[in-house]
Amino acid sequence: MKKLLKKEMTLSASPLSYWFLAFAAMTMIPGYPILISGFFLCLGIFYSFQFGREANDVLYTALLPCRKRDVVRAKYAFVCLIQGTGWVLSAVLTALRMTVLSCAEVYINNPMLAATPAYLGCLLLIDSAFNGIFLGGFFKNAYRLGAPFLGFAVTAFVIVAAAEALIHVPGLESLNRISGGSPAQWGLLLVGLIGYAGVTVFSCHRSEVRFEALDL
Amino acid sequence: METVLELRNLKKRYPKFCLKDVSFQVKQGEIMGFIGRNGAGKTTTLKSILNLVHPDGGEIRFFGLDFLQHESEIKQRLGYAAGGTSYYPRKKIRDVAAMTREFYGNWDEEVYRNYLARFSLDEDKRLIDLSEGMKVKFHLALALSHHAELLILDEPTSGLDPVSREELLEIFLDTAEQGVAILFSTHITQDLEKCADAITYIRDGRLAASMPAEEFRDAYRIVEDSPALTAEQQALVLGRCREKSGGTLLISRKDAEAFPDRELRTADLETIIVHLEKGVAL
Repeated sequence: MKKLLKKEMTLSASPLSYWFLAFAAMTMIPGYPILISGFFLCLGIFYSFQFGREANDVLYTALLPCRKRDVVRAKYAFVCLIQGTGWVLSAVLTALRMTVLSCAEVYINNPMLAATPAYLGCLLLIDSAFNGIFLGGFFKNAYRLGAPFLGFAVTAFVIVAAAEALIHVPGLESLNRISGGSPAQWGLLLVGLIGYAGVTVFSCHRSEVRFEALDL
Repeated sequence: METVLELRNLKKRYPKFCLKDVSFQVKQGEIMGFIGRNGAGKTTTLKSILNLVHPDGGEIRFFGLDFLQHESEIKQRLGYAAGGTSYYPRKKIRDVAAMTREFYGNWDEEVYRNYLARFSLDEDKRLIDLSEGMKVKFHLALALSHHAELLILDEPTSGLDPVSREELLEIFLDTAEQGVAILFSTHITQDLEKCADAITYIRDGRLAASMPAEEFRDAYRIVEDSPALTAEQQALVLGRCREKSGGTLLISRKDAEAFPDRELRTADLETIIVHLEKGVAL
């Protein structure tokens, strides 16, 4: 699997997948729906799939000395690596906003979702949507990208809108508390972590089964 | 000779096409030509062998091992190249080769360098800048550099100019002399005349023949289509081709006695296949 992951990173990946990691810096933008950074990160990964399709990447990989299902695992591993890196970058910047910059006026008067553990949980939900809808959809035929990505994009924007709305619901204002966090924030982070792990494992398993029966 | 590939009753069903009970064997050091017209099922068979297409039934064994149970191990000993298929067109040869070599325990850098030189492949060229012939040569170089024991080649000579085709066929002959088996699909039967030891002929998804090439050629005879045949002779005709000067008929050699009044000629592969595919209806 290490070799396949290296192949994904060096041969199959579009450089945009790495460049788009920089969108994690959107975490620092005040007065902006910063969850969009999760969408852009996944858009960068999408470019790798588009690049791979043009390069016959799936066929090349399936012919290497590995099991056919390992092709799927390698793709999921690559996606998780990029998402994990993006999430860690966002987490570092979130910690910065919640500590050193917690008194900054632009963040105190921020009417949008703040960078908190709840934000990190919502990022994981967007990543889950990508893994479940886009990756799961792609491996139905290992060719079509458009419809699965559209499904993911719509879901991602629903998550962004729902998160932005949630912080204005009476009783849930603590979701947006900058300093110290709140149980609700940590709860949403936990939901994100469990959701991400569950959706990714389930989607990967289902994609392996589908891909095994697929005619390339 | 050791059997390197054995297919038994391979089946694959599509809505408009069906591969039915295809069985054949490829032996060590043998070049097997896999022939049939476009859409006969050659590519489906080759892809099924490699599990790229999911067969609906049948058994595939490489080197005596079940493919699905020993997939990685078997792929270490195989090479595959398809005419018209290219990977990572924007990448340099050097980059694709560097990644490929990581997967093969038997990779031989010296052999790879020799093939690069022999095929005049420039490592700094991108794959998109190579001609079709050079792409096939590059894939062959990759396959041969990890000491593949069986090469599966899907129409590798299609789209190549005559000189490149001739060069490739010579490479196949050299490779087979080293004990490598080659399963080589094509609809260009002249290529097989030059190098095939055995022929597997597929027609409408069914195996029509699988035997030594000489035996295949010797199993048929060509006779002239005039004067008119008797009803008994008509029933024995396997295929008919019209020409300006009259026409030719294909018959089975075992029926030759039924044509005592005619000159019987042996036929090349193309003549046999064309007659068989055309049949007797005109």
